[in-house]
Amino acid sequence: MATVARPEAIRRIHRLERIWEERPGVLGWLTTTDHKRIGILYLFTSLAFFAAGGTEALLVRTQLITPNGNTLSPAAFNTTMTMHGVTMIFLFVIPISTGAFGNYLLPLMIGARDMAYPRLNAFSYWVFLGSGLFMYVGVVTGNGPNAGWFDYVPLASRTFNPGSAIDFYALGLIFNSISSTAAAINFIVTIFKLRAPGMSLNRMPLFCYAFLAVSFALVFALPALSVDCLFLELDRRLGFNFFNVGHGGNVLLWQHLFWIFGHPEVYIIILPAFGIATSIIPTFTRRRMVAFPMVALAEILVAFIGFGVWAHHMFAVGLSTITTIYFAAASMIVVIPSAIQLFAWLTTLVTGKPTFKTPLLWIIGFIVFFIIGGLSGIMFAAIPFDQQLTDTYFVVAHFHFIIFGAAVFPLLGGLYYWFPKVTGRMYNERLGQASFWVTALGSALTFFPMHIVGLLGMPRRVYTYPSNVGWAPYNLSETIGSYILAGGLVLMVVTLVWAYFRGPAAGPNPFGGATLEWSIPSPPPEYNFAVIPTISSAYPMWDPEDREHDVDKLNRGEMVLEQGHETPASTVLDGYFDEVLDMPSNSPWPVITALMITGIFAMILTGHLVAMAVFGVLFALSVMGWHSVEPQEA
Amino acid sequence: MSEVTRSMEATSGPTAARVARRRVAMPNGVWGVLLFIATEAALFGTLFATYWYFRFNSPHWPPQGVEDPKVALPLILTGILVSTTIPVFFAGRAARAGNARLAWILFFVALLIQGGYFGVQVHEFLSDLSKFPPNETAYASIYFTLLGAHHAHVVVGMLLELWVLGKLLGGITNYRLIGVRVATYYWYFVNLLAIGVVFTQIYPSL
Repeated sequence: MATVARPEAIRRIHRLERIWEERPGVLGWLTTTDHKRIGILYLFTSLAFFAAGGTEALLVRTQLITPNGNTLSPAAFNTTMTMHGVTMIFLFVIPISTGAFGNYLLPLMIGARDMAYPRLNAFSYWVFLGSGLFMYVGVVTGNGPNAGWFDYVPLASRTFNPGSAIDFYALGLIFNSISSTAAAINFIVTIFKLRAPGMSLNRMPLFCYAFLAVSFALVFALPALSVDCLFLELDRRLGFNFFNVGHGGNVLLWQHLFWIFGHPEVYIIILPAFGIATSIIPTFTRRRMVAFPMVALAEILVAFIGFGVWAHHMFAVGLSTITTIYFAAASMIVVIPSAIQLFAWLTTLVTGKPTFKTPLLWIIGFIVFFIIGGLSGIMFAAIPFDQQLTDTYFVVAHFHFIIFGAAVFPLLGGLYYWFPKVTGRMYNERLGQASFWVTALGSALTFFPMHIVGLLGMPRRVYTYPSNVGWAPYNLSETIGSYILAGGLVLMVVTLVWAYFRGPAAGPNPFGGATLEWSIPSPPPEYNFAVIPTISSAYPMWDPEDREHDVDKLNRGEMVLEQGHETPASTVLDGYFDEVLDMPSNSPWPVITALMITGIFAMILTGHLVAMAVFGVLFALSVMGWHSVEPQEA
Repeated sequence: MSEVTRSMEATSGPTAARVARRRVAMPNGVWGVLLFIATEAALFGTLFATYWYFRFNSPHWPPQGVEDPKVALPLILTGILVSTTIPVFFAGRAARAGNARLAWILFFVALLIQGGYFGVQVHEFLSDLSKFPPNETAYASIYFTLLGAHHAHVVVGMLLELWVLGKLLGGITNYRLIGVRVATYYWYFVNLLAIGVVFTQIYPSL
């Protein structure tokens, strides 16, 4: 670089280091409001839940390896299968994509020094942790949710499911959605308000568009789930009649409300993967994404259309013909934004100069699995086909291609891609590629035979099957595949752990990435950016003159904002510089408040209403404590 | 860099007002409450949808054995609650103009009316509970859930107002001014909801 940092610039950096220094030790982690530390907490917590959900998957597959298997009892199978779904969706994919990737990377990509609400961000994490542990307390005490991840009534009603298994499910999900809602609002405001001056909406990376779409979908979809679970709890605990047909209730209400949440949820799971794909593809093809505005709009359109297709999960329950036809047609529309993105990725790959390093390999795998899973998805929009194959393994095959192959592959590719940024170390390329091939092979071997066994009529969620129906060889292949898949993931863990301790230094931008997180040292300093960067395109690292301008600004002391925990706020559309915000630093209140909420839910579950009221008062007090010190007094 | 607005330096009525005038975009706090209202609106949308779903799947509404709801009292109560929009609105304006005292009085008036409203509503709620309990019909289940959810929102709104009243005693700062806006927007929403809720409440008698 032509311009070098002068001594006064170094002094400014030291000053920022002092101001943004994090409290050390365990207390520092408990009270942190740094989006990077919270991202790390989210990452390790969600990976722990991934391990739990993966173990459950292996147990299910081990049970089904031969006909008439007896690894698990029928009851244990139900709990294991249910918790596999609940864990993977609510405790792994959403937290790792929004919580870990979004939290860590979003502020870095938009040139901000923190999230819009740093303490709310910490609060989201602690509530997420509380809700995950809450549900697993149910499993450990023998009350694990056991009616499938979509928990249909009347199976989940008190009559057919006494005990507290379903209460752990319903309360746990209401609890969990507090965390996701808070996180979603935080992301939207961060994206709208904290972009570095100059980053108008059309210069925002596509990754951020994906997270914007996800966050809006969460804001509008989660209440349906919470209300549904509330109805279920009122029915179970207080004898209300929402789902009690004998007293004017309706069991289909559960399904409608669940899928009004559940289908947007599918796109909530997949959109972060799209965002990661649009980050990795340009880096490894050395070119900008094809059809940038179309891809941005398609990302948002997917989230929007996702709200109008829910009843395609209910084609077999006997809705009116006109309803099913409408939802079939609406479901077909989803093809359009999906295809726009797919062709944009492919065209970028074909017209660029791709180098097939580990992260790009995962994205290629993602594209292949997304096409296959997408095609089997379109089949389900044909109503007779759906009615024939609903609740068979064909459905299981379809959605595992989508939510494992298409949604999780990019997350794993993203782990490799941003690993050097987060740790400052480089992983071994060969081991990385090997872990991809093993995992991809294992996935294909696990999930592809499910199509066939589904067509042969094997229903999902059965704990075993007889030997005379011809399903055994496929199930054997699936189980072997699942162990290979797990082996690939273990290899990945080994690669990354080894790289963390022994890997060579990575430097700030090992892949020549285009977005702002690559402009700062690896691992990033607490204040993220020594100077709020200048931005004139969505690929700021490929504008070298802007980066030189940053050094000039640092030398002049312009946009360094070194009077406190400061970050600039911009206007929503144009990204004009609007004001300087003073961000909160370490605070004990988020974790305390989350603890009180955990207490409230635990007391509702155990039926101690007085203790619940006490926790309610303590919750109100901790919210007051949170707001007792105003920013200007801090 | 003299143009930089450091909003936190605004610790008096006039400076806070100046910061608010110079700011182009809505402050983060206001964005936050608007999105919170959006998710709350989705929550009530789900409750309303459930109400109408039951209604259109039932031959009798209310079901046989449940008497038609009162019309006059719920309408009057809702009218009273909605009328508090006026003091809340002017309290917000007074705070923006730097008049903490007037804002305090107006919020206090609104709080008194809302508190009275809430007291009568709790009484009505309990007396209805004894007449047609929710463990007898789906109609009563959604009736009490909708009303209960709205009453809970009234409580949250009153707590917000109490907090604003406490804060305004110490004068106006940028932070408190945003807090005032948050409380007023939240009340506009709660009052708007009241109209939808009272419509479902009295609908069987119309």
